[in-house]
Amino acid sequence: MTTGTTGSTGATGTTESTGEAPLFGPASQFHAFFDDPRWALAMIRATVLEAAHPQIGAALVDNSTFVAHPWRRLRNTFLSMRRMFGPDPAAREREAARLNRLHARMSGSDARGRAYDAMDRPTRAWVVATLFESAVTMCRLSGQPLDQDTMERMYAEYRAFLAALDGDAAELPEDLHDFWRYFDRVVENELENTEAARVILYRLFDHLPAPALLTGAPTLWAAGRAVVGPLLGAITVASLPEAYRRRAGLPEMPGAPTLMQGAYLTAGLARFLPKGWIDAENIIEILSLSPGSDDPRARTVTALYARMKRASALLRLLAPLGGDPEPGPAPATGTGEGRRSAEEFFRQVLDQTGDGHLDWPDLAAMARELSTRLDLDEPEETRLYDAFAAWWRELQAALDTDGDGRVSVDEYAAAVPSLAGPALIRVAEVLFDATDKDGSGTIDADEYRTLFRTAFHRDLATAGGTYGRSAFVGDFLSFMSGRRTSTPYDPLLADA
Amino acid sequence: MSDQDLALPYAATEDGPRPEPLRAGPGVQGRDGGDPARAVPRHVACVMDGNGRWAQRRSLPRTEGHRAAETTVIDIIEAARAAGVEWLSLYAFSTENWNRPGTEVDYLMRLVRRVVRKHAPLLLARGIRCRFLGVADPRIPRELARDFDDLATLTADNRGMTLTVAFDHGGRRDIVEAARSLIRSGTPADEVTERIFADHLPFPDTPDVDLVIRTSGEQRISNFMLWQVAYAEWVFPEVLWPDFRAPDFLTCLHTYRCRDRRFGGVPPRTNGDHPS
Repeated sequence: MTTGTTGSTGATGTTESTGEAPLFGPASQFHAFFDDPRWALAMIRATVLEAAHPQIGAALVDNSTFVAHPWRRLRNTFLSMRRMFGPDPAAREREAARLNRLHARMSGSDARGRAYDAMDRPTRAWVVATLFESAVTMCRLSGQPLDQDTMERMYAEYRAFLAALDGDAAELPEDLHDFWRYFDRVVENELENTEAARVILYRLFDHLPAPALLTGAPTLWAAGRAVVGPLLGAITVASLPEAYRRRAGLPEMPGAPTLMQGAYLTAGLARFLPKGWIDAENIIEILSLSPGSDDPRARTVTALYARMKRASALLRLLAPLGGDPEPGPAPATGTGEGRRSAEEFFRQVLDQTGDGHLDWPDLAAMARELSTRLDLDEPEETRLYDAFAAWWRELQAALDTDGDGRVSVDEYAAAVPSLAGPALIRVAEVLFDATDKDGSGTIDADEYRTLFRTAFHRDLATAGGTYGRSAFVGDFLSFMSGRRTSTPYDPLLADA
Repeated sequence: MSDQDLALPYAATEDGPRPEPLRAGPGVQGRDGGDPARAVPRHVACVMDGNGRWAQRRSLPRTEGHRAAETTVIDIIEAARAAGVEWLSLYAFSTENWNRPGTEVDYLMRLVRRVVRKHAPLLLARGIRCRFLGVADPRIPRELARDFDDLATLTADNRGMTLTVAFDHGGRRDIVEAARSLIRSGTPADEVTERIFADHLPFPDTPDVDLVIRTSGEQRISNFMLWQVAYAEWVFPEVLWPDFRAPDFLTCLHTYRCRDRRFGGVPPRTNGDHPS
């Protein structure tokens, strides 16, 4: 891992002087919770509390890919947290710089015209506050409250986290005692029933797309989701602070608090499982593996996947035979193998934020995903964003026929053939340069794996084990305009 | 069936010295069926004939005959498995059967779907790998096609016995499809051998049929797995399919055991394959 920080935003590594036990690294309180299943529930709760903040809510609705690609988002967030709380200060500094660059690109205004800015310091402090408060609450709700010392220590860790991001932690009260007053004040006065919070509570879980691992078993996934989705929603609502539930007009469902406490309690029981049984990183990594990939674990995953397919087959065969007319879409025989319709491509690849329209945040999300994968520093990152921005202008000029500033599915479907313009070619070239880290003019096996997280496709290996510029650009264009499926780009941009 | 006693002495000697080319390759590999070490045919196919007549003799609608066939099918699957048959193929519905009255076809579709769903867990538990040969016609209801797929997926890893159900199957159509696929693959004409051709048939891992049982006394091929039955022994029990039971099946296996399989009456290695 390179340590050269090209941090474009301020001093980030200045608060490393805290004595005693290190605030970061494997000995920290944060790490103690990392593989705790309760942490999953706590993270959902924290995300709702963040989304309920008007500034964050607006930024999420505009920019975030969590509706259309929640699993990718989860994985990225998880890896980022891991780096931020890891023992290596250089990696932390670099990750902080990356996060700052990422957030500096997000600003705008919400539906009511109020400006938001992802670099706003009080707002960023609130994100950290929700994470800390949710961790504390998770322990309380599962019947193992933290003692005062541990809580103090954990608070210090989260303040250090904020300091690593923002240079200092002045936006969060220094003392834990004052923190609770700060937290209650924000909940009482600032949180709203934002669209983003509603999306998370009511839409995300009911429509949660299957992770890559399970895309082949839609029946199984839908059956599980129909049960788990509403439950998760109810559990999360019941765990939110009473003051917020009142303000946002969230329903009080009979039995929900019991259910919620039961869920936390049950998740807490996982501490009796043998060590290593639950490893959050492994779980997330395996969920985002596509079954076809050549990862060392892929054999297991493929086996698991096959079993899952069989389970859904059995489920369907055992389902009672009603008069079922089974509307469902007819098998797409007309379109031929390996092609998808313009609508499908729009939904799976282009509309990254899942709002039904193609606009700049969608393309920015692609640039974000690519630069995250490639672990880009400046100035490569900006170059990639600029290329995507130019492509967006090209798309807008060519496709936005009604002039509303964004491209709808219909506008896109009507103009597909003219999509591969010079700006898209430029995107492909910049992406090639960014992927070709050693500047050798070809992409070798390692570089390929960094981008696609899989080895060379079999038919590529014929060209002496490398991937040349023109082949790369050609494949990228045929994915982006030819709408071919099952290319390496699918897991990159289309997977949920 | 009068030839059993005659054939017995030859069976043991003729094919004796051949090494057993077990699963050497797809398609044309089934000729070891007559090996004395293999008293049980490896691949048995049944043409399930006589359902309609069975019903007519009882003054029942033809559909009742199909319904009664279900019991036989399950019985025969079990008997074949117990007898050590590795591949069992059942001719359920031919491409010509679409010419039957619409109501009967509809009934068959519904019946097959019910049977598939009813016995899926049993087939899975018995370790039987199921697959469906044909199933190409758009007239097949989509739900039925999906149930076929599901059952095939569900049992794909089973290794006990492979049950191939020929449904909407036509032997000539398979050969024509194989020819198309061969041409599309760009194989030069001179390089086409039986083995290569067979690789383009559906389910190329299916070995040649050793024994075909056609019930109800009818003695026709009826466009059934034309390629694979090239060297098959045929038996034609008089009993109608709904009355056919495990003991009848075992009788057929015995008849087979007594046959003298000579694969065209020439030394076994020379028919078909070009040495390459």
